[in-house]
Parts: sequence; structure tokens; C-alpha cells
Amino acid sequence: MRLLMWWSGRALSSAATLLGVSVLIFAAVRLMPGGFAETVLGPFATPEQKAELAARYGLDQPVFVQYGHWLAAVAGGDFGFSMISRQPVGAELLARLPITAELTVLAVAASVLLGVPLGVLTAVRARPTGGGAAGRLLSGLGVSVPEFVLGSLVVFVFSRYALGLQVGSWVPLTRDPAANLATMILPAAVLSVFSISVTARTTRDAVMGVLVEPYVTAAVGRGESPWSIVRHHILRNAATPVVTLIGTTTAYLLGGALIVEHVFNLPGVGSYIVQAVGRRDYAVVQAGVLLAAGVFIVMNVLIDLLVGAIDPRLGVMAGRRA
Amino acid sequence: MRYPRLACGVAAALLASACAATGTTTTPQAAAQETAAPGFLAVADQALAPGGTLNLQVHIDSGAATGYDPQLADVATTWQLLSLSYETLVTVGPDFSVQPLLAEKWDTPDDRTYVFHLRKGVAFSNGRKMTADDVVGSLKRLLASKGVWAGQLGPVDEIVKDGDDRVKVTLKEPYTPFLAALANVPAAILPMKEIGDKSVDPATTLLGTGPYVVDNHRQDVSWTFKRNDTYWNQGKPAADTLNITIAPEEAARIAALQNGGAALATLGNVDSASMLAGAKDVKVVTQATTDFYYLMLNSLKPGSKLADPKVRQAINIALDAQQIADIALGGKGKPTAITPAGLPGSCDPATLPSAAKSVEEAKKLLAEAGAEGLSFTLTIFNTEPAPAVAQVIQQNLQQAGITVKIEQMDEASWSGKVYGKAPAEFDAALSWFAGYADPGMVTKWWNPETAGFNAGFMKPDKELSTLIDAANKQAEGRDEALAQVCAKADADAQMIPLVTRPATVAYRADQLSPSLYATEGYGNVLRLVADARVKKSR
Repeated sequence: MRLLMWWSGRALSSAATLLGVSVLIFAAVRLMPGGFAETVLGPFATPEQKAELAARYGLDQPVFVQYGHWLAAVAGGDFGFSMISRQPVGAELLARLPITAELTVLAVAASVLLGVPLGVLTAVRARPTGGGAAGRLLSGLGVSVPEFVLGSLVVFVFSRYALGLQVGSWVPLTRDPAANLATMILPAAVLSVFSISVTARTTRDAVMGVLVEPYVTAAVGRGESPWSIVRHHILRNAATPVVTLIGTTTAYLLGGALIVEHVFNLPGVGSYIVQAVGRRDYAVVQAGVLLAAGVFIVMNVLIDLLVGAIDPRLGVMAGRRA
Repeated sequence: MRYPRLACGVAAALLASACAATGTTTTPQAAAQETAAPGFLAVADQALAPGGTLNLQVHIDSGAATGYDPQLADVATTWQLLSLSYETLVTVGPDFSVQPLLAEKWDTPDDRTYVFHLRKGVAFSNGRKMTADDVVGSLKRLLASKGVWAGQLGPVDEIVKDGDDRVKVTLKEPYTPFLAALANVPAAILPMKEIGDKSVDPATTLLGTGPYVVDNHRQDVSWTFKRNDTYWNQGKPAADTLNITIAPEEAARIAALQNGGAALATLGNVDSASMLAGAKDVKVVTQATTDFYYLMLNSLKPGSKLADPKVRQAINIALDAQQIADIALGGKGKPTAITPAGLPGSCDPATLPSAAKSVEEAKKLLAEAGAEGLSFTLTIFNTEPAPAVAQVIQQNLQQAGITVKIEQMDEASWSGKVYGKAPAEFDAALSWFAGYADPGMVTKWWNPETAGFNAGFMKPDKELSTLIDAANKQAEGRDEALAQVCAKADADAQMIPLVTRPATVAYRADQLSPSLYATEGYGNVLRLVADARVKKSR
């Protein structure tokens, strides 16, 4: 029963959040300066052509009517048509989603495989000076450098010294997995720098918090090996904030993909939204932001479930507020 | 946390989008020099075997809001892509002379009549032979369309079939740019039988007589073209497949060139040639175009000092187009009058009345107009080199005591502000026109009654419009008539021509032997792509 109530609560709060996001993004795109007609049709368009475009996409109706129609369509799974390509937005998002998902998965994998060990290492070997300070400096840099700066730098360097990697073009995974990986490694690396840094810092803090727990001291007293202590006593107890962070970061990386995909010319959801914003392609921007919000919500639910599995005291069944 | 990143992404994308930046050749790498014929930057090596796949990258896709219909296409980037599948009755040569294409010749029994003799053996890519009915129907459809190119065809009176292989076009009055206007993609010959029976919608399907057929297109991602096996011109196209990637980010295109992912790419920044300096096997060429930047001064904004011709003339006098070309365009643009520099018959900008006057005379005009200490906002889009051009304008006008505030915005916001309302809300704005292939064609945009898109900031000048029409009627003594147009537009100064807008193209000399005109009138870098020979495909 409690589980049912929890799921009901999450479904309701998720729907409310998505509704709020839909109102905000619908209003925001219409408040952007610049007319869609001049942008979509170009400066030579006649008033009649502009009126025809507005009528075709229902943009000549009052905003709240437009919103109602759009919301009803979205509820039915129809995200409308792009004014630029005249193709269904949903189909294009689906076609591009695998690229963004692949990029995100690679970046998350790098965050976990590098960030967690780095965090543990700097925590268990923490000293007032030296490695700890260097680690903090590096992670601080990783958090501070914007993706478009790092991305541009990587594109510049690797366009001259490719080292077997590819910049500026993309190969579908289905056509040539190896060539695809060669085009995805660098963007994923750029995207992951932020999350590796944050993951390492969070892991370090969490591990240091656990290190002072009596059961760790007891394990040391029992003569357990450092690896055994880390594995059996530290990692699981320090995992909750790290898992929460990785889940949140996964959704956050989708935002970073906006820039990285553009800089590396990857035809994913991010570059689709960026181009749509530049061209005032309303339906695409609305669907893209709604999709991102949806992913964020789903990730939060998954985090709650995962945290509960790792530490039953914090789980859904423990009465934790949904 | 996500929204700042979204905003950041948008800002970065807007900053990163680029636009194309004179028949000069820059060879950053001592790559093998190709001996090009006069009028060409490069000529494909016909000794190389045909076939292979050509990977190209361009910065922007076709403006597909109106679909693939060539008659509604109004931007060069769209013309460029559609020209791979569509052809026109005539085309332009490297010296801007009109040359045969789907018409193998034409007669002009009088100055109002053109009889086109259609080439035999031409077929659409579905295999059906092109007929005189397709030609008549296409031109009539264009004239009846809402496309901007309908206005460029001039005063067409009648289009009729004259036998099975001839089409006669009669004009109401002589119109010199007529043939040049027929040479651009919007005047392409469409499959009118299929359009008529609705088996083909030109908005969604490309069915032309050109060298390539579309295999796949994903908007803003890529195009794949395959050779048209029914193409009438034996031996063309040379390459079997064209993969065209849309890469808005200039650095990504440069990277693809350097690592061999692209055999040819268009570049926007004038500095890109130096970015490719030392790149192995990469050759950068600058193609002169007839496109040019111009300054719009809003004479319709209520209360604006810019409504006074003396103030506009003072601004025109104070501008130094050579400085704009040298500083903002790295010396690759040329000062121009209303008739694009580089086109045969165009005016020499150095002979314009404003060119002979000094900044002191500009100040005197401002004083006479009561506009000392004039200040206005110059609205520009943020793609290079517009900000650099604006900065030189700002410094030029400062010499005459005019303060210019530069307002930089993304292209959508810029379009909304400049073309969104009538009267328009801006003071001054920077833009560029395609210059086309006849010196009289672009002059028509100086008449807001013809060019409705300018009506929001520009008053019709009857004398100028009369001079433009007169110059376009004349075949003999046209240079003198165009000189009068140039001088009158120079004095009117509601739109002030500045400098030409060159196109930079880079290609891998180890992968490709291309043909490229030294000067292009319709912004079509891919005009001769059917001649290009693939050295090796990657």
C-alpha cells in the first residue's frame, strides 16, 4: 500500500512538474525576441506567406488556445511538426536520441570508472597538503571550465593530431561501431570532465565521512586489509550521495550535450534543440525541453529506488518522503 | 542548474554559427599548384578516372520551410543544394556570360523576343523526356508563384510552345537581365506533367534533369546524392556519390578537412585560412562573389534624423569602404556601388559622388541638417564578419562626430527587428545581398515597391526607380545608364552598398580535384561539382 501511495505521489508530482515546465517553455519561446516568420521564411517573405505559415502551424490563434492544442497533442504523443523541416518532431527526436544517449552513457561511464576511484584514492590518502590539494585543484578546474571552451580546444588540438580519433564528422553506430567510437570518444570525454570532477569530489567527501565511523576503526583494529575495508565497509556506506549525484549528473549531462554536440557536429537531440532555438522552431524547442524535463524526473525516480536498494533505511518502503 | 547550461549552449551556438566571408588563392600548404584556366580557381583533372564518393561539408542546410520547391528558394545555400538535381535553360560562365544548358541555343529576333531551342535527349531522373510543355509550364508557374525570383524575370508578356523543341518568350518591353535571371535555380525546369497529375510534389520531392538525384536527406544533418544515370551530359557527373554534411560549427569543418573527414568544405571566417596554415594537403581558395554588404538607414522611423537625405549622405561620405574591406574582411572584399563590383558593366565605386567628398563635407551636411552630435544604434547579427564590419563603421562615423552604438543579436532576433514590423524599429542595420549575375538585377531591391521586404524602412524614390527600370531596358549604352543609377542610389543613401562578400572554400588536394569559378554570381560553390574528380575516397 505504501509503495502504491509512493508511486501515486511520484506520478502526480511528476505530472505537475511536467505541466509547469510545459507552461514555462511554451511562454518562454514566445517571449524570445525575433519573429518566427522572418526567421523561418527569410526576409524576402511576403506578408501573405507569413500569414500562411502562421495559419498552417496554428500560430495565428491566441496563445492559450495554442497551448491547449499543443498540450492535448503532446498528451497523445504528438509533438507537432518542425517549421523548418516540416517533419514530425517526435520522429526526429527518436532518430537523434540514440546519439545523445550514447554520448551520455559514455560520459557517465567515464564519471563512474574514473571519478569514483579518484575520489576513494584521494580520500584514503588524504594529506593536509600534496595529493589532496592537487586533487581539489584538478576537480575545481574540471568543474570550472565550460564545455564550449574545452570542446573548442579539443577540436583544435585533435584536428591536427588525430591519434586515431575523429573530429568534425560522425559515423552511425550501426554502420561501423569502431568508427563510431572514434567519433564519440572525444565529445564524451569533454562532456565527462565536469561529472568526473564532481563525482570525485563527492566520493572523496563521502568516503572521508565514513572513514571516521567506529566500524571502520574496528575493521582496522581487526587487521583487515585496506582493500577489504574499502570494499566491505566504506564503498557501500559512502555510495548513497555518489549514486544520487551520478543520477542527477546523468540528466545534467543531457544539458551539456547541447554544447558538445554542436561543437563536435554530432546530430543528436542537443544540436537539434540549439538549431531550433536559433530559428525559433517552437515545436522542436518545446518538445526538446519537455523531453529533458521528463528524463530528469525519471532519473530522480530511479535514484530513489536505487538508493533504497543500497541503503534500506533511506528507501521508499522506509517511509522516506517521495 | 540545467537552465544556465541550456542558455550557455544557446549562446555558444549563436556565437559559433558562421556566414561566408576575391578571386584570390591562398595556399597555406605548399600543395601542388593546379594550373587553372582564366576565370577559374581550379579545374578538375580530367585524366583522373571518374567514380568514387565525395564527402563535403557546408555550414547551413537548405531553407526547407518552403520545402524543396526551387521556385520558392530565395537563399544561395538552398540554390547550391537544389542545383545538384535541377537545371535551368541557360547558365552563367566564369565571365558571367550566359551560356546554353537545357536550351542548346536561343534566338532573339527582336529585343523583346527569345526563342529557346531545347536540347535533345534531356530526361528527368524518373526517365521521362523533358518537353517544351515542361519548360512553358515551369516558367508560367514561376511567374504565378509567390517566390521572390518571379520579380527578377522582368516584364514577361507571353510564354508559348513553338513546335516540339522550341519555346518562345515575349517580353512587354526590353529587359536586359532576362537571360541572367533564367540562369538561376528558381527558374529551373520542373517535371510539370508529374506536378500536374499530382504524382510529384516539388515541395517534398526533387525530380529534375540535373546530374544527381537525392538518395537521402535529413534536415540540418546531411544529404546523400547519387549520380543520375539518365543525365544527358555524357561523362558527368564524375563522382558517383556526394555525401554532404551540414556542419554549422566552423571549427568542426576545419577539423574534418584536416583529418580527411571532408574533401571540401565552405568556410565563413576570413581568418580560417590562417587556421588551416600548414595543414597537410589542404588548399584554401577565396572565391569572389557578387554578394555585398550594405548599410540600411531607416528613413521611416518616426522622429528619426535619418529621414533627412543630408544626414544619410553625410553618413555615406564618412564611410570608408576600402577600410572595411581591408580590416574587417582581411583585404578579401572589394568596395562596391549598388551594381556589384566584379560584374561586367558595374560602376566603379571610386567614381561615386560620395567618394570624392571629405569628412569635413559630411560634418557640414550634418550641421545643415541640424544633426550635429548625431547618435544612432546599428543593429547587426552576430555571425562574423558582421561585428568586425560594424566596428569599422563605428570608427569611420566617429570621425564625422557621429556616435554609433552597436547592437548585436542572434539572426532570428535581428530578422524580427529589421523585417518584423512596418515601420521598422531599428535605426540602422547591416545586411548583405546576393549580387546575382547581371549588374541591373540587384538594383531592383532599391525600389521598395518591387522589394516589399524593404518597405518597412525605405521610402520609394521615384527618380531612382525610373533610372533602374531604364537601365534594365537598355542593351546599348547601358554602362552610362547604370552609372546614373549608382550616382542616384549613392545620393539617396537609404541603403548604402559597402563591400563585396567573398566565399572561402577549402579542399583536400589529395582527395579531390575540383573545378571552381574564380567569381560566382549566385553563391553556388557547388556549381561545378559534377566535374570534380575523386582522387581517393575516405
